[in-house]
Amino acid sequence: MTRYAMVIDLNTCVGCNACMAACAAENQTPVWKNSWRTYVHDKEIGTGEDIHRRFFPRLCNHCSNPPCMSVCPTGATYQLDNGIVQVDEDLCMGCQACAMACPYAARFEVTYGDVREGREFFGEHTYRRRRPSVDKCNFCAQRVLEGREPACVETCVGSARQFGDLDNPDDPIRQMVASGTARPLMAYLGTEPNVYYIDDLKRRG
Amino acid sequence: MAWDFPRLSRREFLKTSGYGGVAATLSPSVLLTGCGADKDAFESEDISYTICNFCSSLCNVRVTSRTSNGVKRIVKLDGNPNSTLNRGKLCARGQAGLLQTYDGDRIKTPLIRVEGSKRGEYAFRSASWEEAWDYIARKTKRAAIQPWEWTMVGGWTSCVFYMNWSVPFALANEVPNIVASPMQHCVTTGHLGTDAVTGNFNIHDEILPDFDNAKYILLIGNNASVGAVSTCRMVRFAQGKKNGAKVVVVDPRLSETAAKADEWITIRPGTDLDLCLAMFHVMLEEGLYDANYLRRHTNMPFLVYRDQRGEWQLAKDEQGRPLVKDDGGKQKLQEVLERGDHDLPPVINLTDAPIRVLPAYTNDNRQDIDGYSFCPALEVPVGTQSPQSGGHQLVTVFQAQREAVKDYTPEWAAKTTGIAAETIRRIAREFGTTRPAIIDPGWHGARYANVMMLRRVQAMMQALNGGIDREGGWIMSGEFHHKATRQWQAKQSGEGMQHQLSNLAGMDFANLVIGALSRGENFSHGHPGFTWAYSQQQKAAGKPWVALPVMADEGLKESVEGKLQWRGEPYKTRALFINAANPVRHYYPDTYWKEVLQHENMELVVLLDVLPSDTTPYADVILPNSTYLERNEPTLYGNGVNQDLAVTTRYAAIDALYDSWESPDVLLKMTEIISGNQAGFLKYMEALTGLPAEPVKAALAKKQQEGTKNPFSAACREVAFAQKSKELGITSDELDKSLRERGVYHEETWREILKHAAIPEQIPAVTASGRIEFYSSLFDSLRDTGVEGPAFSVLATAVPVSCRDHAGADVPLDDDEFYFTYGKTPTVSYGSTNSNNPILNAINTFKAEIYRGVWIHPERAQRLGLENGDRIRLTNSRSGQFQDGEVYVTRKVHRDALFLHSSFGVENSQLTRSYAYGGVATNKLIPHWVEPVVAGFRSQEFTIRIRKLEERAGGAA
Amino acid sequence: MDVTTSFVTQDIWTWWLAIYLYLGGMGAATLTTTFLTDMYLKPHPELVLWGAWSGIAMLGVGSSMLFGHLLDHMAVIHVLNPLVLFNQPHAWIAWGTQFIVWMMVWGFLYALPYMLESAFFGRIPLLRDILAWEWVQKVGRTCGRHCRLCGWAASINGIGTVVYTGLLLQSFPAVALWHNPGVPLLFTVSAFSTAMAFLLLVLNLAIKKREEDRPLRVLYERTDLMLIAAELVILFSFFFYLQRGSQSAAISAQLLWNNWGWLIGFIGFGLLVPFFLELKGVIKGWSSPAPIMVASVLVLVGGYLLRYYFMYAGVYAQPW
Ligand SMILES: Nc1nc2c(c(=O)[nH]1)N[C@H]1C(S)=C(S)[C@@H](COP(=O)(O)OP(=O)(O)OC[C@H]3O[C@@H](n4cnc5c(=O)[nH]c(N)nc54)[C@H](O)[C@@H]3O)O[C@H]1N2
Ligand SMILES: Nc1nc2c(c(=O)[nH]1)N[C@H]1C(S)=C(S)[C@@H](COP(=O)(O)OP(=O)(O)OC[C@H]3O[C@@H](n4cnc5c(=O)[nH]c(N)nc54)[C@H](O)[C@@H]3O)O[C@H]1N2
Ligand code: SF4
Ligand code: SF4
Ligand code: SF4
Ligand code: SF4
Ligand code: SF4
Ligand SMILES: [Mo]
Repeated sequence: MTRYAMVIDLNTCVGCNACMAACAAENQTPVWKNSWRTYVHDKEIGTGEDIHRRFFPRLCNHCSNPPCMSVCPTGATYQLDNGIVQVDEDLCMGCQACAMACPYAARFEVTYGDVREGREFFGEHTYRRRRPSVDKCNFCAQRVLEGREPACVETCVGSARQFGDLDNPDDPIRQMVASGTARPLMAYLGTEPNVYYIDDLKRRG
Repeated sequence: MAWDFPRLSRREFLKTSGYGGVAATLSPSVLLTGCGADKDAFESEDISYTICNFCSSLCNVRVTSRTSNGVKRIVKLDGNPNSTLNRGKLCARGQAGLLQTYDGDRIKTPLIRVEGSKRGEYAFRSASWEEAWDYIARKTKRAAIQPWEWTMVGGWTSCVFYMNWSVPFALANEVPNIVASPMQHCVTTGHLGTDAVTGNFNIHDEILPDFDNAKYILLIGNNASVGAVSTCRMVRFAQGKKNGAKVVVVDPRLSETAAKADEWITIRPGTDLDLCLAMFHVMLEEGLYDANYLRRHTNMPFLVYRDQRGEWQLAKDEQGRPLVKDDGGKQKLQEVLERGDHDLPPVINLTDAPIRVLPAYTNDNRQDIDGYSFCPALEVPVGTQSPQSGGHQLVTVFQAQREAVKDYTPEWAAKTTGIAAETIRRIAREFGTTRPAIIDPGWHGARYANVMMLRRVQAMMQALNGGIDREGGWIMSGEFHHKATRQWQAKQSGEGMQHQLSNLAGMDFANLVIGALSRGENFSHGHPGFTWAYSQQQKAAGKPWVALPVMADEGLKESVEGKLQWRGEPYKTRALFINAANPVRHYYPDTYWKEVLQHENMELVVLLDVLPSDTTPYADVILPNSTYLERNEPTLYGNGVNQDLAVTTRYAAIDALYDSWESPDVLLKMTEIISGNQAGFLKYMEALTGLPAEPVKAALAKKQQEGTKNPFSAACREVAFAQKSKELGITSDELDKSLRERGVYHEETWREILKHAAIPEQIPAVTASGRIEFYSSLFDSLRDTGVEGPAFSVLATAVPVSCRDHAGADVPLDDDEFYFTYGKTPTVSYGSTNSNNPILNAINTFKAEIYRGVWIHPERAQRLGLENGDRIRLTNSRSGQFQDGEVYVTRKVHRDALFLHSSFGVENSQLTRSYAYGGVATNKLIPHWVEPVVAGFRSQEFTIRIRKLEERAGGAA
Repeated sequence: MDVTTSFVTQDIWTWWLAIYLYLGGMGAATLTTTFLTDMYLKPHPELVLWGAWSGIAMLGVGSSMLFGHLLDHMAVIHVLNPLVLFNQPHAWIAWGTQFIVWMMVWGFLYALPYMLESAFFGRIPLLRDILAWEWVQKVGRTCGRHCRLCGWAASINGIGTVVYTGLLLQSFPAVALWHNPGVPLLFTVSAFSTAMAFLLLVLNLAIKKREEDRPLRVLYERTDLMLIAAELVILFSFFFYLQRGSQSAAISAQLLWNNWGWLIGFIGFGLLVPFFLELKGVIKGWSSPAPIMVASVLVLVGGYLLRYYFMYAGVYAQPW
């Protein structure tokens, strides 16, 4: 079996936003209204003179137990055998229950207006979407199926994003996850997320 | 889990060809709407390769285009996976680049300024190319614009890609004036400092540190050049970090790069030279250097003396060759002992050891002119003299240098930098004892009068560690090695270099360009470039002048206003040809260029661009260029700063969307208009770049006949391919095929290159002496021209910076007073038009608080009653220039400094998204004030006062 | 990595969805109550007609809130298809939609025989003609024969709808305020309470059979009183549940119990005031129907406020 997952090393994410740009171009997301499949937050943390600037990329976690899917009435949200959680734009009616259910704010709406704007933005003939729906990261399934890495991973200039198969014993990310070096977000919710983070605060004394 | 019910159905993932993704099942909504048809209608997908055009990192790009309903459109850019330069990655600008081509704001036809309108009003009418050329020709003739009255203005795009056309153009048309926007900000102010030590010099950047293998990385004022973002550097930096390198970043603010450091050192702006001098001091005093390397490959052991004026001079023999003192076999003894060998050499007392003469140009000091092998001494005893030095006391450069920085202790530097002396000492020791270690060469220069010296000292520190062209150190580009090797071969064989423009490397190349434009003798009309004439005029008048105003704008205004004289006649600039440059935004202040452009003496302004920059409103004729994705370039190029040797070029992914012309064709047409000397243009091209004139002419005729668009570019490309493939030992078609399939043609890896061409271990550096130069021959040569001041010192020394007229740096800042700092945004190039890119604009909007805001420390903000988002007025305390902005309160900035991103504040409303975004324009805060070596902008050498404005930020500012 | 956690409320489902939940719950409860009353307490055609049609209307208006906000209105077909229950049995909206649809259908069928006899409907042009169609008459007669079946089918779907409004919110795991079994309970109680209030208004204002319906009104009043009391108890336990535990819950508590609209509007005027008004009515009785009508109106407003504030106070934790 294959279980796709992503590991994000916060130690080398440099906040360049290349992933956001790559994803927007690859997946034709409605960036004109500040909706992205992945965001890189730029946070100032620490107190007093201990100042830490953290870049925090986030995206859909492709949860193994995805609440977005269980609330979806139309079946538009579904999971592939390889773990990728996807939205079928033809089935989705856009009730947004999934967006409410997702603890990671991974989902956003694409409206009729956005579809019109999208044609303008990404080209009438090359804009792939035809119907409005909820949208979110799909781990670039279209690329992964062709044996390529997701757009954001491939271009990550900090090599902060790594993509791999947790079920493959030789995959480097498997060890990172197994050892607890890379940990998921809000695992206590039981969502069993599959995007894991390597903490960046350890190095500092 | 409460929501985890067993699924009754599992959908199959259908793999469809192309992009259809899932879908394909006819779901009811498709049936209902009947629009399921075109989803899989993509007819074909094409892959092509090109080079990114958003910064001189020159990443290799893989372009995916899709043809659907007969329309071909670029759908995705990726890093070229075959590239060892950017390793298959692109930064945000590179990724979003395809939307430059599809930007609705593009210049789509030639535009001619409407009769009766004034420059600056952006009143243009669409015109055909014939009309545009006719307009230019008539104006040139009517106003009788002379060749020297023309000035070409170029940006890095024109530099990197069209240098081989621009310089022959200048010579053929006898136009001695080129102003290039990267120079005063970047290439001359920053790189030239490094280059003075290493001899390196490339059109736009030449060193790619081997961060991958470094153990210690020290970055001083680097951000866009590494993490924010130069992809080729960042990918290596990230790998180095993953490999465990310790990273120290010195920056007044917590930049993207600083955020990745193990240690962020918050420095007071403008004091980096002090920091580096102190570190240099510690390294010299404490012996933290690779002595053997210094002896062999640098001019540290050269003997020097002080002349009557107290200036250091090299001791030379009659033929001008350097002198060194034999270390009396001490080094040899050391080596023998280490080897455990018992055949001990005779040890002579160092005092009695002879002084030896070294070859003037070589990379190894261990053999004198007679071929005698020895080891030169780094230090010589007091009283060393030589018959050749006229009784002067001799010391080594090493000693002189140590003496020169004697007072620059960490305690001294602590006062100005605000960094604790212990910290400075500790970093110096860490850097001096960790091998391999890198201090980044730096990129954007300018800012302060002392930046060039700062870069010199940085290079010297790197050389102290012996970290040049070695694993884990600075690695010069494959292309540079290639040229330097050929140049060294030519020097050895005593033959001159042919086709110097494209073959000369490093400082020799720089000298060629300087020579071409600074000497009136090169032109039949006798005029040197106006900026050189202006320097002479200033000097003659006893006023401050610039020693090496290489492609600078210094004197332009005077020239336009008729205040520049040459041989008793006014030397006017009356026409501008601006290609891929945006001087109104990139030079300081905006008004300087606006006045130049709007002056009544300015007869004609021709501008070639892709988007309506802030300069376009001031043109008479705007010509549309294609974007980088729409064109084949006229030649092949090296692989930028790549350490590996490789060849690449651009392939057009789609046909040009509009009726655009390419730079070489525009230059050819302009030649017809200015001088009619098209044959001369081709001849100069051949002489300087080696592209043979006759075959180009023949190909041009053929292309013209075939009706090829931009026939000249196409002809040059054809010939260039033939020529390059011959050099590579393959056919033109093979080269073409290989590049079409892979985008880059690799010749040699850097590890292989270093085996035979490591500089200076294998071949000489391209400095005057062939060594890494601590004692600068460049500044030595300038001394004769009468220049003065520490910025021209032949050795490393302090160069003062003065940010305040009313008080020294030691007096605390007033409550409303801040040092001014700026830097680039990861998502924007320079102050370039790609801030208008829809995707980048969206990211900038997402991060508006951080990117658009003026960074102020909370303690300072509180004192001024400022909160996030408050509107403020920033006033230059020296020049009185002001701009309004909004506050971003953050601890990420030094208390004494404010910081802003230099990418925003576009004023041309035709650039719709950039214009709407707002932001503070640096070009409206920085005065025209340059340093004396290369006219580098002192763009941070002042303080800013801040006042709260009443209304709060709302929408676009 | 939790150093950067921030807490946010959502703006995806806002006031309009509160209307959906409110009208959905109340409409279904109203319909169900009147049918059960008719079947087991006291045959009351007028009440059934009122209950059925206002229930259907409320569900119609409520559902249109959701429908209007769909991104792709066409695709709603996927949830209208009853097979959705087999394909998406875990999705409450699927259940809810089916409950709503079938409740409306069965509700209509249960009411049809009464409509055929109603003088009022017999006066409405067009509808009058339709009702006169032979097959409509036939269906009506069949339904009349199987009225219990129809009534139960409608009621079960009605109760399903009522409970669904709470289950829907409960299915969002990130929000402690929603993701607990108290929510369906609270929403169910509240839905029936608002239904009682609504029916009291109907009985007092529309049907006006004062004497005849007195026992019914008293029953509704008492039921409502008990429901309000139950609601207060549930809210009380919510208050304590939210105080300790996850931060998301604590912040929801802060948002709600620091909000005048919630405290005074909902708990004060939406629950306590009607509680005491009705309490007095039950213990001592009122001389005029006005106080009970005031109480009913307050309960109705309170019912909406409950859902409105619940939507607004759902807090997500975001670790970035
Ligand atoms: N405000 C501000 N000014 C700066 C800097 C900064 O950060 N901020 N950085 C400084 C530095 S380090 C440098 S190196 C310089 C660089 O300065 P430039 O090299 O001049 O920089 P660009 O903005 O890339 O290019 C200028 C113009 O080229 C146009 N252009 C882009 N692509 C093409 C093309 O394919 N063909 C043609 N004909 N034109 C094209 C753009 O639209 C733009 O108007 O800027 C310096 N000035
Ligand atoms: N995103 C982006 N990347 C680019 C480019 C681009 O246009 N956009 N252009 C490329 C080019 S041509 C160049 S030249 C390079 C430029 O790359 P860099 O030379 O790295 O230039 P900046 O990012 O402008 O400035 C670097 C840092 O200097 C800091 N700084 C300001 N004043 C001082 C000071 O007094 N002391 C110290 N220690 N630090 C100070 C700023 O806070 C900033 O973080 O970037 C290249 N990469
Ligand atoms: S992150 Fe959200 S959208 Fe993605 S699978 Fe998990 S719950 Fe669903
Ligand atoms: S919005 Fe679409 S994907 Fe989300 S729950 Fe509704 S139908 Fe499913
Ligand atoms: S995996 Fe693909 S869809 Fe997901 S964030 Fe990355 S680029 Fe976007
Ligand atoms: S591309 Fe990589 S380094 Fe850049 S912001 Fe995204 S995750 Fe971070
Ligand atoms: S670093 Fe970015 S902008 Fe510069 S060449 Fe590479 S991809 Fe293009
Ligand atoms: Mo630059």
